[in-house]
Amino acid sequence: MSMSTTLTLEPLFRRPIPISIAHRSSNPKTFFFPPPSSLSSSTIIKTPSWSWSPSHKLHAPKFQAFAANTDTLEPLQSSDVLFSKISPINRTELLEGKIFVRLDQGRDLRNWELTVGCNLPGKWVLHWGVSHLDDVGSEWDQPPRDMIPPGSVPIKDYAIETPLKKSSSAAEGDNFHEVKIDLTYNSEISAINFVLKDEETGAWFQHKGRDFKVPLVSYLKEDANVIGPKKGFSFWPGALGQISNILLKSEAMHDNDQDNSKQSSEPKQGNSQLEGFYVEMPITKEVTVSNSISVSIKKCTETSKNLLYLETDIPGAVLLHWGVCKDDLRRWEVPPAPYPAETVAFKDRALRTKLQSRDSGKGNSVEISLGEEFSGFLFVVKLDENTWVNDKGNDFYIPLSSSSSSLTVKREDQSEGVQREVTKVESQEESSSTFTDGIINEIRHLVTDISSEKTRKTKSKEAQESILQEIERLAAEAYSIFRTNIPTFSEETVVEPEAAAAVESETLVSPEPPKISSGTGTGYMPKDLYNLNSRYGNIDELKDVVKSFHGAGIKVLGDVVLNHRCAHFKNQNGIWNIFGGRLNWDDRAIVADDPHFQGRGNKSSGDNFHAAPNIDHSQDFVRKDIKEWLLWLREEIGYDGWRLDFVRGFWGGYVKDYLDASEPYFAVGEYWDSLSYTYGEMDHNQDAHRQRIIDWINATNGTAGAFDVTTKGILHSALDKCEYWRLSDQKGKPPGVLGWWPSRAVTFIENHDTGSTQGHWRFPSGKEMQGYAYILTHPGTPSVFYDHIFSHYKSEISTLMSVRQRNKIHCRSTVKILKAERDVYAAIIDDKVAMKIGPGHFEPPSGSQKWSSALEGRDYKIWEAS
Amino acid sequence: MEISLIGSSQAKLGRSDLANRELGFINLKDGFRVSNDRVCLGKNVRWKKAGIRFTLRALHQSEPLQAEKRSGAGRRSKSVDGVRLFVGLPLDAVSKDCNSLNHAKAIAAGLKALKLLGVEGVELPVWWGIVERDAAGKYDWSGYLAIAEMVQKMGLKLHVSLCFHGSTKPNIPLPDWVTRIGESQPDIFFKDRSGKHYKECLSLAVDNLPVLDGKTPIQVYQSFCESFKDSFSPFMGSTITGISMGLGPDGELRYPCHHHLSSDGKTQGVGEFQCYDQNMLSILKQHAEASGNPLWGLGGPHDAPTFDQPPISGFFKDGASWESSYGDFFLSWYSNQLIAHGDSLLSLASSSFGDTGVTIYGKIPLMHSWYGTRSHPSELTAGFYNTVKTDGYEPVAELFARNSCKMILPGMDLSDAHQPNETHSSPELLLAQIMAACKNHGVQVSGQNSSESAVLNGFEQIKKNLGGDNVLDLFTYHRMGAYFFSPEHFPSFTEFVRTLNRPELHSDDLPNEGEEEVAQSMIKSQESSISMQAA
Repeated sequence: MSMSTTLTLEPLFRRPIPISIAHRSSNPKTFFFPPPSSLSSSTIIKTPSWSWSPSHKLHAPKFQAFAANTDTLEPLQSSDVLFSKISPINRTELLEGKIFVRLDQGRDLRNWELTVGCNLPGKWVLHWGVSHLDDVGSEWDQPPRDMIPPGSVPIKDYAIETPLKKSSSAAEGDNFHEVKIDLTYNSEISAINFVLKDEETGAWFQHKGRDFKVPLVSYLKEDANVIGPKKGFSFWPGALGQISNILLKSEAMHDNDQDNSKQSSEPKQGNSQLEGFYVEMPITKEVTVSNSISVSIKKCTETSKNLLYLETDIPGAVLLHWGVCKDDLRRWEVPPAPYPAETVAFKDRALRTKLQSRDSGKGNSVEISLGEEFSGFLFVVKLDENTWVNDKGNDFYIPLSSSSSSLTVKREDQSEGVQREVTKVESQEESSSTFTDGIINEIRHLVTDISSEKTRKTKSKEAQESILQEIERLAAEAYSIFRTNIPTFSEETVVEPEAAAAVESETLVSPEPPKISSGTGTGYMPKDLYNLNSRYGNIDELKDVVKSFHGAGIKVLGDVVLNHRCAHFKNQNGIWNIFGGRLNWDDRAIVADDPHFQGRGNKSSGDNFHAAPNIDHSQDFVRKDIKEWLLWLREEIGYDGWRLDFVRGFWGGYVKDYLDASEPYFAVGEYWDSLSYTYGEMDHNQDAHRQRIIDWINATNGTAGAFDVTTKGILHSALDKCEYWRLSDQKGKPPGVLGWWPSRAVTFIENHDTGSTQGHWRFPSGKEMQGYAYILTHPGTPSVFYDHIFSHYKSEISTLMSVRQRNKIHCRSTVKILKAERDVYAAIIDDKVAMKIGPGHFEPPSGSQKWSSALEGRDYKIWEAS
Repeated sequence: MEISLIGSSQAKLGRSDLANRELGFINLKDGFRVSNDRVCLGKNVRWKKAGIRFTLRALHQSEPLQAEKRSGAGRRSKSVDGVRLFVGLPLDAVSKDCNSLNHAKAIAAGLKALKLLGVEGVELPVWWGIVERDAAGKYDWSGYLAIAEMVQKMGLKLHVSLCFHGSTKPNIPLPDWVTRIGESQPDIFFKDRSGKHYKECLSLAVDNLPVLDGKTPIQVYQSFCESFKDSFSPFMGSTITGISMGLGPDGELRYPCHHHLSSDGKTQGVGEFQCYDQNMLSILKQHAEASGNPLWGLGGPHDAPTFDQPPISGFFKDGASWESSYGDFFLSWYSNQLIAHGDSLLSLASSSFGDTGVTIYGKIPLMHSWYGTRSHPSELTAGFYNTVKTDGYEPVAELFARNSCKMILPGMDLSDAHQPNETHSSPELLLAQIMAACKNHGVQVSGQNSSESAVLNGFEQIKKNLGGDNVLDLFTYHRMGAYFFSPEHFPSFTEFVRTLNRPELHSDDLPNEGEEEVAQSMIKSQESSISMQAA
């Protein structure tokens, strides 16, 4: 028992900010699909428990009931209020509610009404759009004007925001909000897509990480019939484009069946194409509730006892754990009877009194009479099994007067801004969570009742256990931070010293933002996102490099890996799926459908990368953290934009979310999959390949571009095998992404993955200049590989760049393909530049324009109109 | 936060009056106030049940606690139950510009973990090259003060190691201005026979020469110590309970006989004599002339092997020159120089810090390679004239006793069984010899492990060393960092600490056990927080 030891324990765990009841996001499973339950909102009382399990025992009821005899209480006649104090308490309640979606038939067969409602308080906005029948991707469109309810706000050209209004039907309760959309039968519209947004909190509510989608047309019905027994239109999640495969749909259907089987009720028979339906989806929302506990003490003149009156406006059953102390040691003691009604002894050390409902019906109160020999009144308040209210980690302490003369202070202590702390104990799985406060709090309770030698030993053991866990947690924390100073993996661009010069020349050319191909050899297995020290250099060097680029007028893209992240720690099964560092996510941050990492998140919204845990971007906390991180990269490091790694792994809509938040100057995604081959021969038609890339760009709402992998692949075959006919698609346009959506196509022939030291997919050797002659004259945003700039191609590349710049060729320039034959490809761009690649012969037509040769190299030639 | 009355930090206690007033609580007994104040002052008297103890405490108040603490061996009888455990902080806890802490968050978490684990305190290397980096007499203690504050807040003790040497890993060189002087006068550094300078510490031959801008190194060290004392006076004797004086390469009292000594002392070669800088040579010359053998003063032994050679031939061979009168002449001189150097530094530390109540430590190396040979060449080149014929550690122990210093001994984790056979190494026997010398002279020993990555059976060996009937009263485990907290290491460390802690002491016996006590089990610190709340 050293004084020196005691000095410190407590401040270690003190936190200035009160901990709220609900920690971060709730269990996502329950978020979306809890078992059917009551519609009313209620305080979340989840399977709680301490981060250390034995705690339950501490509160295991071992009550001795006392005869509760209210008559023995002192009468209320008393004198002055000696002391009065109001302690504000902020609690966070997790409200559970529902989203209702109903499709009703309207006045006639051609009119339908879609109702979306929500029974939680909030400022709800429906963010919605429609899909058209002829849409290929999953893009949203503005609905026709007659569908848009008054008060709606168009969001760019693809969505509408319509606020939900308080429902007129009182039956649903005060908080019921809804919006109705009239649908005029319109064969053009295949589906209505929406998400729900709470403008109070800025939170978006989606369906399994995707849009809600209400399909409206018949062929989906056929599909539905193919898939499952449920006839007609079901309400299924997500942006399932028509090209989605059956398997995916059946999965979705399956989920849906499970989740909504009890809920999707009474399909009304409508016309032959449409059926009404009604579904409910549970949602939750955190709200802060302010309550207070007020305590006042009066002196009873007759008995010279202190009368303590405690009241609170916390609703529901409230238990007061209380005791008294005789001196300022604040050791809990049990005062002699009488006690208030519904009082039981709690482990010899405290009394537990259930507060009585106040007459007003709101809140609870109790009056306690205390002998004057006591100098203080101690209490904590228990709201439910897991929620204890204390005074910032300490017991509440109310001084009592021992001699009435000495205590004359009458004081209204509004405790300006002093926050009370509510400690919520978390679920078992949270073993590595940071609920130190909770532990310490519990230790405190434990400490306060160590008088009886008997209970002491067992408690000691429990305390020891909890402390060991706390030690482990702290050690893990220390470890993760110390580790960050060891050069390990991190995500970042590497920039060699010469790069400044290199990109200088690139800026000369590129009409689009110039950018650096991030040449990391590795760094694609990030662990601690905030650790930017790597074998390429430390964070300060990185900042310096970025700064010097900026000094040269060059933008810098950060290469961010969002799909996956290496874990720091193993879970109890020995699986590496617990993260540390600043973003110490647990396994809820990992997608559920990767068998290797036992994630507890939702299913992946994309392909899985199998070497590391795939991040579940449907989790609000994950997205929040990632957005913060991107902003940090923007502000702290100075990155101007992003090169997004492995974006196949998650839904492009999340990328949109990230880009909206981080507002990059430019962003490009790496959507990499393989081209179509038949019998080892590359197909001429690579539309499916580029469609997948386009779909991704679409999902990001066009906020990001994508690497034109299609063009690179086709160039490989065309140049390598002398098959230049490949460079025109069936419609006579360029066959890559740049042929369909040039302003989003980032063309390249080589990068640090495909070439350089990694060499996963090298451009045909010796044909690089033909490649550059193609991409640097064509629309799209060409990027030149660092290695090539500093090679013997340097002067040719820079001439090409200046041709591009001189003629103001940009990402949307027009291409007129003049020849796409076996041994030659030729095109005229913007009528200003003519080019040919391949050994075959080509001369630009001498018509209205005169062409002069600008550059000629091995198997390529460039002309400018003069 | 101040509102809360159950607080227990020192700062808060100091404020308790205010807080009490705010709550309208004026029912304090005077006695309690006094005790509050005493706690604020950091007297750190330990009480099991504060309520009962107030009278005792008052009695104890008049007692000079420091005197108690420094009385050395007298405390032993009480501490048989265990050894106080310290953990070294990262060598680079403070960044080179001294303004910022490296891994501050990690250290904060680590300190908490250690505190909960029951560790008594931490060791903090304070680098000359960081504090007095730019100019002589210009000290910047800010980073170290921040750490001392963290440690104090955590309720841990702090041992400070004053490092007058440089380090390559992490790269912390000597002060820039010293390095600059060294560029023009390389002979302020040790030099080996081949003419290579060792630039991580000053040659002991310049201790009393005004080579540093007109000041002698001893004077510079002294000013450094004084400045340290002034800057850390709020912590002295309360949080800071020990200061280890840097005595040479890696802080150890020795010659840099191996220019790159590996951390576990495992070296195959015997090292080299370091007496070739101009100043050493001139002292040697004078000494030889004075002893009537001027020819012996022209240099070191000509047949000594080079750094990495085993002692199979030449000077250290059985019956070779080391056993001759020349050998005795040279080795005595060489080791006496080292002892004189140690003496001036330790007496400097004693006089500087004597009134602060902190314990002074000095560290000596464990040159265990070749201990099994007759000549003990590794110890000879390091400056310890310890052979089968002479006991080189008696004068060293005597040196520590004379300056009332405790001795830090590394290598507590090394066992003979895991040494390479061919080096005739025996860390255990050497440790036993040094500890015996210390016992003779009443010098207490503070143990350290020698390697940062766990040696095979290292913890077992440490426990064995700590368990014996010896003069150990403290053990410093090196060193906090990524490996320390890694899943490979930390659990075994935890286990080690827990087995070190004996079952609960009946500590309501002596009121003044104070901080001499071993790290407590968790429970006790928890319980004590009750009395804390009271105080």
